[in-house]
Amino acid sequence: MTSDADDDAALARQIIGCAPRRDAGAEAELCRRLGPRIRLYGLKHLRNEAAAADLMQDVLVMLLQKLREGAVREPERVASFVLGAARQMVIDSRRSGRRRDRILAAFPVDLVPADDEAPEPIDVKRLGRCLSALPERERAVLVMTFYGDRPADAVAAELGLSAGNVRVIRHRGLERLRGCMETAGETT
Amino acid sequence: MTRATCTKSEQELLAYWLGELDEAQESRFDEHLLACAACSERLRALVDLGAAVRGQLLGGDFGFVLPAAFVRRLEAAGLRVREYHLEPGGSVSCTIAPDDDLVVAHLRAPLRGVRRLDFVLHDPKSGTQRVTDVAFDPAADGVTMVPSVPYLRTLRHERQRVRLVAVDGVEERVIGDYTFNHYPS
Repeated sequence: MTSDADDDAALARQIIGCAPRRDAGAEAELCRRLGPRIRLYGLKHLRNEAAAADLMQDVLVMLLQKLREGAVREPERVASFVLGAARQMVIDSRRSGRRRDRILAAFPVDLVPADDEAPEPIDVKRLGRCLSALPERERAVLVMTFYGDRPADAVAAELGLSAGNVRVIRHRGLERLRGCMETAGETT
Repeated sequence: MTRATCTKSEQELLAYWLGELDEAQESRFDEHLLACAACSERLRALVDLGAAVRGQLLGGDFGFVLPAAFVRRLEAAGLRVREYHLEPGGSVSCTIAPDDDLVVAHLRAPLRGVRRLDFVLHDPKSGTQRVTDVAFDPAADGVTMVPSVPYLRTLRHERQRVRLVAVDGVEERVIGDYTFNHYPS
């Protein structure tokens, strides 16, 4: 079994090996693979879907440009390169909202990375049934957690519980919710 | 190319997402997620589930018992919240307006020393329901009930009663009765 890192590295080497010509297929595949991961990184650190989508595009544009230039010295560590670029762009975006314009001006490329495939939407009716079936305490902890993505200690402070206790309730609630969603999915 | 499986537990992924890790742990997680499609996809599914749960709350689709501080945050986020305050044994005339996002009832109650708290709701439409072991802060001076908005909108002139019951083993003790006289807006 090959790891994702091996597969990413193979594509990166392919792009480097093809330079100065473009290997459009390898570039598109690398964007398809890395795009969702970079977007999730952006969502975690920027907490904004639009900003995360911008970050994804900017990082991919920079990565492809650097690969074509042969500036990525260790293609087997392409994830580390991506992390470094993404981290710096998040810092930049906090300093200035003009990050995107600067990057696109500095690294002009004609390839627009493809957006990731849309994930399967959650059946909200089923979710509603499953949430209503949860014990009240677990439902409250899950709602308090996901409204604002709050850590266990913050939820615990509002409920007079320990953070450890909240983690246990959260874990049980999530397991029960997921089990219900999967069971309901099999029977409908 | 063969797909690898995610090596991180859901609890680890959630701890990362919610900012419960220290800086070094979070950095290692960042790097792992950028290199591992399976873990990244699993986390994305968890994040989407969380967003859907949030949507259920904001849609007012369910009844909840939540701390008053949490309701304050909903208001601060721009939700229009109609509030009622009741003492034990108290009653209130109440309604829901078309532009209300949520209606909440703050039920004052002596909670100190209470180990488990149950809600008993009675209304003529759905009869008597008991909600066991609600989440509450024993140091607070009460709990906040957030009824289902779609359900409230079906009510006309109706009376609902809520009883708070402290449970300790097989012992039960009523710590408050509250009456809601609902009228349509």
